[in-house]
Amino acid sequence: MSRLPWWVGGILMAGLLLMTFSVFGADRPLGASTYVPYFAGLVFDLDPKKYTYLEHIKNPGAWEGVMLLGALFGGFVTSVFITKSFRFSLIPTGWKKYKNNSVLSRLLWSFVAGFVMIIGARMAGGCTSGHFMSGMSQMAISSMIFGTVVMIALVITGRFFYNVKDK
Amino acid sequence: MDIIVKTAGDDFASRMAQMFETVIHEGHGSLVLVFLIGVIFGGIIQYTRVDKFEKIAGFAMLKDTIVPKMLFLTVGLASIGLYFMVEAGYAHYHIKPIMWSGLIIGGTLFGIAMAIFGKCPGTGPVSIAEGRIDVLVGAIGGLFGGLVFTLYYSDFFKPLMGDSAGKLTLPSFFPGHEHLVVLIFGIVVTIIAIVIPKREFYDEADLEKLPPEERPDLKEVH
Repeated sequence: MSRLPWWVGGILMAGLLLMTFSVFGADRPLGASTYVPYFAGLVFDLDPKKYTYLEHIKNPGAWEGVMLLGALFGGFVTSVFITKSFRFSLIPTGWKKYKNNSVLSRLLWSFVAGFVMIIGARMAGGCTSGHFMSGMSQMAISSMIFGTVVMIALVITGRFFYNVKDK
Repeated sequence: MDIIVKTAGDDFASRMAQMFETVIHEGHGSLVLVFLIGVIFGGIIQYTRVDKFEKIAGFAMLKDTIVPKMLFLTVGLASIGLYFMVEAGYAHYHIKPIMWSGLIIGGTLFGIAMAIFGKCPGTGPVSIAEGRIDVLVGAIGGLFGGLVFTLYYSDFFKPLMGDSAGKLTLPSFFPGHEHLVVLIFGIVVTIIAIVIPKREFYDEADLEKLPPEERPDLKEVH
């Protein structure tokens, strides 16, 4: 078995969310985008006293930072020993099929998209994990607005950015 | 031999040590538990392969629906479970505020970037862990995004995001019927997850590494 079916993944992810929310677990939501500006603060040695945002995210940023180290470890171990999918690659097969064969194009677009993605996530106050999964599980209106806007922007971009019609 | 961890210094290693120290003292689970939550999170994402470009950008192209099916199922099940945990005092809600311009501008930028990158901030690290160099480059882009956001937060981004219009939830619109609203929401979202037509876009480079009897694309033909 090289992969779990979507419904097993959904049940496990719901269990993990509940464990994270529970007072016996972490008593907080599961988020995965606050760590990025937190790490930017660590890497570029920014002074939290000067930049209020860093002071503001000190605790959630650190929590997610440690969680992220776990995710890197868990992803690595699973890819090597369970799904046996670990390999180095510069360009996804789907990009070659629906966009182009240029490694430079993929790397440039990745860089730009990564940059824009974090600005977007921090402006909205969350990402797929913090807003979509954790927020919608709490039935938060803010997360439903975010989820709707993201889905629309995602599908429109997918339609026009890739050569979907050709194949 | 004593292990000395320097947490008062100003170099990169001390700043990393301060991160662990913050987690130990903030009371949201022990350091080991937080790391373990990450391991399970990364493990589920890797094992279901929802971190693949073909799954996320594939959903943007409407050629793969595994990501929305799994997300909606997670939300449907967790919303019911979480509500009763909160009722019983075993969990708390942590609602994010409604900031209209922040949500709409941020969500639009996020959706566009997600379609092009084929990752999000939670699935990206898992892809890096399985050897995707292009995602590592994207993460460096993200780090600069985080830097720019931090540097210009007070002057530019905070005013742009607007004021909070409150931390509303769906059940708060139906006072007296909260239980019913939660059950309907959870069941409807779960049904949405089930009825979204299942479409899969596989990565040939991954399939080639598997023996024929394990290939999911061949299995469905039989």
